[in-house]
Formats: sequence, C-alpha cells, structure tokens
Amino acid sequence: MVRVLSKAGVRVEFPSGQTCCGQPAFNAGMRVQARQMAKHTIDVFESTSGAILIPSGSCAAMVRHSYLELFADDPDWLPSAKKLSERVYEFSEYLVDVIGVTDFQASYPGQITYHASCHLLRELGVREQPRVLLSNVRDCELVELPQAEDCCGFGGLFSVEHPEISSAMLERKIANIEASGADFVISCDASCITNINGGLHRLGKRQQALHLAQILEKYE
Amino acid sequence: MNNPFYTRIRAALKDSRLQNALDANASRRLLAKQQAISSLEEDWEILRQRAHQLRYQTITKLDEYLDKFIKKTQENGLIVHRAENAQEAVEIVLEIARTHKAKVIAKAKSMVSEEIELNSALEAVGLRVVETDLGEFIIQLRKEHPAHIITPAVHLDRNQVGKTFQEKLGLPFTEDIPTMTAAARSELRQVFIEADIGISGVNFGVAETGTLCVVTNEGNGRMVTTLPPVHIALMGLERLVPSMKDLALMLNLLPRAATGQKISVYTSLIHAPRGEGEIDGAQERHLIILDNGRKAVQNSPLKEALLCIRCGSCLNACPVFREIGGHAYVSLKGKHSPYPGPIGSVISPGLLGQKEFGHLAQASSLCGACKEACPVDIDLPKLLLRIRAGGIKPKKGTRPPGIPLVVTWGLRMFTWLATDECRFSAAQKMVGLFSRFATPKKLWWRFPAITGWGLSRDFPVPATRTFRQLWVSGEIKKPLEIQSETESISGVRSGDKAEFKTADIRSDLSDNQPLVDRFTRELEEINGTYTLCDQSKLAKKLLTFLREHEIRSIMAWDQEHFPDGLLEVLAKEGIDISYKMDPSLIAGLTGGLASCASTGSIAIPAGRGKPLTASLLPEIHLIVIKASQIYADLKSVITLPELHSATSAVLVSGPSRTADIEMTLTVGVHGPRQVHVFCLIDQ
Repeated sequence: MVRVLSKAGVRVEFPSGQTCCGQPAFNAGMRVQARQMAKHTIDVFESTSGAILIPSGSCAAMVRHSYLELFADDPDWLPSAKKLSERVYEFSEYLVDVIGVTDFQASYPGQITYHASCHLLRELGVREQPRVLLSNVRDCELVELPQAEDCCGFGGLFSVEHPEISSAMLERKIANIEASGADFVISCDASCITNINGGLHRLGKRQQALHLAQILEKYE
Repeated sequence: MNNPFYTRIRAALKDSRLQNALDANASRRLLAKQQAISSLEEDWEILRQRAHQLRYQTITKLDEYLDKFIKKTQENGLIVHRAENAQEAVEIVLEIARTHKAKVIAKAKSMVSEEIELNSALEAVGLRVVETDLGEFIIQLRKEHPAHIITPAVHLDRNQVGKTFQEKLGLPFTEDIPTMTAAARSELRQVFIEADIGISGVNFGVAETGTLCVVTNEGNGRMVTTLPPVHIALMGLERLVPSMKDLALMLNLLPRAATGQKISVYTSLIHAPRGEGEIDGAQERHLIILDNGRKAVQNSPLKEALLCIRCGSCLNACPVFREIGGHAYVSLKGKHSPYPGPIGSVISPGLLGQKEFGHLAQASSLCGACKEACPVDIDLPKLLLRIRAGGIKPKKGTRPPGIPLVVTWGLRMFTWLATDECRFSAAQKMVGLFSRFATPKKLWWRFPAITGWGLSRDFPVPATRTFRQLWVSGEIKKPLEIQSETESISGVRSGDKAEFKTADIRSDLSDNQPLVDRFTRELEEINGTYTLCDQSKLAKKLLTFLREHEIRSIMAWDQEHFPDGLLEVLAKEGIDISYKMDPSLIAGLTGGLASCASTGSIAIPAGRGKPLTASLLPEIHLIVIKASQIYADLKSVITLPELHSATSAVLVSGPSRTADIEMTLTVGVHGPRQVHVFCLIDQ
C-alpha cells in the first residue's frame, strides 16, 4: 500500500503507537474493552494531521461509524471520536474519491475477480471504486465473481464461535471463485483475505486472494 | 458443546433436503424482490427511508397513537383488550371461546399467536384449532413450528408435503402441487364454514381511522375474518401507522419485500362488526393488543427493532439463515424461537429474554445483508451488536451471551496489549520469533478443528518481522524517498473522477399511457382477466361469459349497485341470481368502488346489499367497474373515504394464490381461482 501510495505522490506517515481499532472486542459485545482500544487509537492519531488510510474496509467502518456508537453517551470522547471518524478512508475509496487516481499502470497477464467485502460495501458504501482501479490494470481480464456481494463467512469471532456456519459460507465463496475462472480474487479487507486464503490453502486450490494494493503494485 | 443451538445448526447443515430448500428460497425470493422493486415509480431507497422515518416517529410517539387508535376502534364497535404479557393474551382468547361455547377455531397466520403459544393453550382445553394458511396447515399437520415468518413450510419439499398429506389426511400420495393445494382447499373450506371463531393477526393498525389491515394471498385471512360469527384480531402494540396515507406507503413496501409482489392478493381493511342489513362479516370483533415486552424494548437501545413489519426479507437475505434455516434458532434450553433469522436474533432476546435467547445474536457475521434488505432500513447489525453488549439493559461486567469464558479472557488480554505501544510491539515480536523458531519452514499453520478456525482453514504463519519493525528500521522505503527515485505517476491524476452509475430503477412505464391500459396490463400480470365494453353491451358480454363457463346461477350484489336493469336482463336470460351466502355457487358478481392502475387492484367495500362473500366464496369472481373509477396509484385508492366508512373493505388483486410449497406459484387457494373484470369504458 505504501508503494502504491508513493506512486500517486502521497506522503505516508506511520504513527508507531497504533495497535488495534478495537473491533474484535466491540463485535464480541465487550464495549468496555473496545472503548479502551478506541481511546488509545484516538490518542495516537489526534497528534497527526491529514487523511487516515486503512487498508481494510471493516476497520475503516469501525472507526468511521462504530466509534460514534461506542462514545454516543460519552460527551468527553464523542467530539474527538467524531473528528477522527471524519479523517478515515479506506484505501480504494481514498485513491478514487479523494485524490482521483484510478490508473497505476499496473499490469497482470491473466484473469482476476473481485470479492466485495461486506463492511466496505454496506457500511462505507464503496462498491465501484475497487472495480474502477482493477479495470485499469493492463493485460488483465476482470471477470465477475458470482454472488460477489455475499459474505465470505469470516465475521471476526463468528468464524471461531460458529465455525460450522462460517465454513459453509466460505465453501460457497470458494466454489464461486472457482466458477469465475480467475487466478486471483481481489479484496479490500485483510480479514476476508485471511479467511479465503486459509480455506483455499486447506483445500489445495490454485487460486489465491490478494489485497487490492498487491495487484496495483504489479507493474513492469 | 451440548448447547442445543449448536446441535440444531449441525443437523441443519447435514440435511441436504433442507439445504436445497433454503437455497431455492433465497434465490427465488431475492430475484422476485428485485423485480418487484424495479416496478416502483419512486426510488426504493427513498421510499424505505421515508418508511423508516414514519415508523420511527410512530414508535417514538407510540402512546399517543395507541390511544387514538384504541379510541377509534372502540367507536367503530370493536371490543378492545390490552394484554401485558403472553399469558394474559391467551386468557382473553380462552374467555371469549368460553363465552361463545366455541368448539372449532379457524386461524389465519399470526406471528403474535406463535409468540404467545396460543395453539397449544387452546388445544389444552379441548378446542379444535385449525391453521388455514397452506404453509401453516402443513406444519400443523406435522406438529412443527414455522421455519420462516412468511413461508412457514420453507424447509419442506413437495415430496415431504405429499407424504404428510398422505399420512395425516389419508389422501393418495402426489407430488403435484396444484393437486395438493386443491386438497387443502377442500379440507379447509368446511373448517371456515364450521368455525365458531376466526383468529387473525394484524399487519397494520391505522390510528386515524381505527382500521385493521390484514394482507393475505390465499384468501384464508378474508375467510376467518368474514365467515365465523366471532373474529379475534391479535396485534403487537407497535404495529401502528398514523394514517391511511401512511398505510399506502407501507403497502408499497411490505409485499415487495416479503414475496416480491407489487401488492398482496387481498388487502383487507376491517373497521367494524357486521352492519345493519349486511348478510356477512363477523358479528363480533375483538382486538387484543399485546405488549409482552414491547414497551420495555421501546425505551431501550433496541427501540429500532419495533420498526419491523414482519416481511421476512432479512431472513431471505441472510447467509446464516440460508445455511441453518428457521428451526435452528432455539433458546439455551432448546425452546423454539418464534422469530428466526436476523430480526429474530434481536427481538427474541428483546421480547422473550436476553438470558435465554441472547446467544442467537452471535450467529451473525455482521455482513449487513439484512439491513440492506429491510424495507424500513432497520440497522440490524447495530442491534445484533447491542444484544451482544447486553440487550435491553446493558449491565457492566456481564459476560456477553454465548461467548465462552476463554474468549472473553483472551480479549481482555488482547486489550491490555493493544492499549500500549511497547506491549503491543513486544507481543508482535514474540509471535514473529515463535514462528521463526517453532515452524521455520512453514508458511501455513494447521490448527485443530476444535479451535473453530482449524475446521476448514489454515492460518498464515505471521511474518517474522512486522511492518512496524520494517518501517522503523527504514527497510520500507518511505514514500518521499521512493518518489525521488522513481517517476511519480501523479500525472495520471486525471481529476476526472469516475462517475458511478447508480442503477436506474425507475419503471419503464411512461406516465402518459391511459389508466385503463395500465390497469388491464397489471391485472393480466397477476393472472386476472378482463373485458372492456360500453355499458350498453355489459349484459350481453356477461351472458356470453357465463354461458361459456356453463354457469346458470350466481351470487350477486343488489341491483342498485350495478347499471340499471342488469340483473333483470340476466334473470330473463335464465340465470338464477342469489343474494344470500351460498358456498355451492360457482360465480359471484360484484361492483367495486375504485381500481388502482399501478397494481391492477379493485377496492370493494362491504355494505347493505354488497356481501363480502360474493367476492370470496365462489370460484369465479366477476367485477363490474367503470373506467372513470380507475386511479393511478394505491394512495389515491386507499385514502378514499368510502373505504373507511365501510364496516370492512378489501382490495382484490387478482385470483387467490399461494407459493407455500417450494415457492411454486399456484393460483386458486381459498379465494376465487378466476377474477374477471368488466370495465365500462364509456362515460
């Protein structure tokens, strides 16, 4: 991601204090712990300026939307949560909507497909941006993934709390990836990628899930 | 784990028949819904936001609307009961049954009756209760619970239904859906006629007019509210809309979201018991308004759940429901959750107890497909998270329902690490070292199935050096440095931002087409038929129709509701005309108050000389209307004052239908199999 951003002439900083946005605890219903992690994140980024880029749709949705839910009854923290939420962008959203760069002169000779991660799509409303970026990759055919907008079955703790259901959902996703004919399935969420790749590897499939940035930096 | 929820989930996943049925449900329902949405003249998104606002404001001022509604229904002549809880509601029904010495009760679909477990209570005192919705009828025969809010028998295929009918009704085995539907029709026809009491649910109560709106497709809802002498309507206290105009909005959304129809076949608007001089309609109507935890939800973080209009759309969209079906949703003790799917995982804990049902909310990947599908835009993922965080009254320090102790301690540990830079980076380094020394050559770890993750997935071995380490040590080239080395492509910063097309979901129907054309087209689409003619030709056309169908006697409205001399001419030509309720007659002739061009519906109010049964009992329903009575949209029709002043009224939209077996459309269930409209086109 850093390399792709640099191609677009964006200066990147990495505040080393950052850890986790708190989504695992929030999704588990442990709001006390989620608030502690959220406060830590707010503290770390308050001393910085500019847009905050997050390479995963669901983490970005957590900071943009769920922080407001988390601090709804906390007048001390709500204003800074709000300020932070307005600075947060998901990677593809930032490239296309904010700086307007849609072509990275990347090239890949083969077929790729796109999995629409749930929180990216439904909470951030990012539907077309990654497709636009992918459609500009040279020599490469962007094929449609059947049921591209269905969940891959990760869902955070859900994947270990309800592994049977989660696995059944992943099985469908993998079948659809195979049906698409693509070599790579591109996503904008690290957790979907971990889940899908974990399943693909277990089954010994040749396909692989990649982050959008990984395909955008493939250039000659 | 001996948690019955898990046992049910495993059983459901192994059941290939169920899996096929659930797949078919999801794909067919989603497709039908998309088509129904595209038929809207207004943007679906705008409509559902409007509906959200409307429902939200109604729930906020619920007491005010409830008072108004109750006052109005009482003025209209309904006997209104308030029930605090399930037990009180059941008691009220039992008391009414005792008073009327009832033996047989015919029931239309009602989720509230499932919630209060009414059937078992009525059966316990020796009453015969018969579910009359085809899907409910099937599962009642099988002694099962509904597997879906809208399609109770969604989990069964035609073979299973055929076997059930063979075993329980002694019918010859068949897999032919129309034959099975016809068998249910004749079985239940007798029940409607014999029943002492009819019980129905209420889709919407209208505060302004005291209207009870009940929508059904099969006609059983009309039967149970029209034929038995006593009608009991059960409703949750949140099911209100302020006005008829608001009802029109909700009716644009509910059938589209629920079954992918533009409108349900029958939209009944019930106001009062049978009026003076009327020959049908219940003589006594009771309305039981149920709280059962709803007020507590209204004043809690789960308030938004009360916006629900029970369309079942979130179930059809949910990838988890698609895997496990409705019967898997059970309490910690294995008790069936009356409301399954995403909305069920919120309202079952909300209404029936966080402790017993709270764990259901864990069975969600929070993918948000439910919110996207909801016609009133309930933020279900947010509510599921609120259930996880404690539900109605979140208490500090209580363990989230359904999460094992080891996970909560793990998360506490993780929080401790993640709230400090040094601890976090040290932990990351430790993991990196572990992967370097413990599994130096591996790229993937394989965890055992018991970890959950290991059931179907491998785990990527964490990098030995983290991004943080690489960044700090300068091994990742900082962008500015890269920029000086390589040619920046900032030149491609085109500024021409991609313009995204949003789907054009406006209807392709142009607005200037005559209403008659639109009306007849819509009518045909819902399997209705029609004849356009001048008034002077009506009698001749009617006679031709009757002769073609070899019909010699009909049930009809009084002459005053038809063009002058019509019935006289028919009688002269040898047609017997009955003005009484007679189930043996094949055709019924009625007029209509108004028609709706956008849905192909005809509004038919009851009244003296205008029996409701003429449009309900016969197999063929003939309607005479004037072209000048056609209105463009549902709102114009439903707000007509003549509909509110009638004791009851119904919007008929084509012949009765069902899709309760394998989602296969079958025309002709309890109501007419054919609806033929004679539209008079002269002025």
